[in-house]
Amino acid sequence: MLKCRDVPAEAEALLDGELSLGRRMALRLHLFMCGNCRRYLRQLRQLLGAVPHMHGDASDEEVDKVLSHLHDHSH
Amino acid sequence: MTEPLNDADELALLKGGDQAAFARLVKAHHRALLALARPIVGESEAVEVVQTAWIKAHAALKDFEGRAALRSWLSRIVINEARMMLRQRKREVFLEDLQPEGAEPFADRFRGNGHWGAPPVNWHADSPDSLLTREELADCLSALLDSLPSNQRALLELRDSDGLPFDEVCNMLGISASNARVLLHRARARLFALVDHFEETGEC
Ligand SMILES: [Zn+2]
Repeated sequence: MLKCRDVPAEAEALLDGELSLGRRMALRLHLFMCGNCRRYLRQLRQLLGAVPHMHGDASDEEVDKVLSHLHDHSH
Repeated sequence: MTEPLNDADELALLKGGDQAAFARLVKAHHRALLALARPIVGESEAVEVVQTAWIKAHAALKDFEGRAALRSWLSRIVINEARMMLRQRKREVFLEDLQPEGAEPFADRFRGNGHWGAPPVNWHADSPDSLLTREELADCLSALLDSLPSNQRALLELRDSDGLPFDEVCNMLGISASNARVLLHRARARLFALVDHFEETGEC
């Protein structure tokens, strides 16, 4: 039986698309019975979805600097 | 966060050389690309590497086929530039300790019987975007990202921020899949623990 302690690694493998059918079934069974691990997976999914946006937008100054280098380069 | 008007329209503008669309692209991805270059070439060279990458990307955009997400495509260009720069200066990839060290970050949250001793609290956010709309939390996260060991940072940027396939990431960094998994897990667990702590206490 899968223990809660095993779930973080299994949950990541699931989100990375690396979980075999058997391990997926075992995880699903555990999640069915365990609210803490369901919450863990839901929040991990949210967190990883936010990572691409964590750095925020560049400032106008940064953008201008990139564009002016680009301009210098093409002339 | 600037989201493109519509991916297909925005891409058509970019491929057609629209300057405003290119400025939007830079605005949306520049910081993330810097964060990717930093652990690989170091702070002082990262700006130069990303600048050169933007020049290459600008020239290559008309041939972009949309098989990968734009962000993944841009990060490959950055990685190539970073490697080229390291080669020219005869330097090695600038990564700390590729071997995972230290304790498993969640170890103290489980009881001896394998059940949660300190289960995650219920987060207020209900979507990835709403996680980042609270400025204090976004600041805490960005401070944590800066403080991670460079190997963990590089993995998190390539895999979770830029969406590159796991195998490609391992090849790029010259690291075994099993080490990469442990390092990535460490980084993700640190982020998770930070958000969890913030939700509970309102502090980093
Ligand atoms: Zn559980």
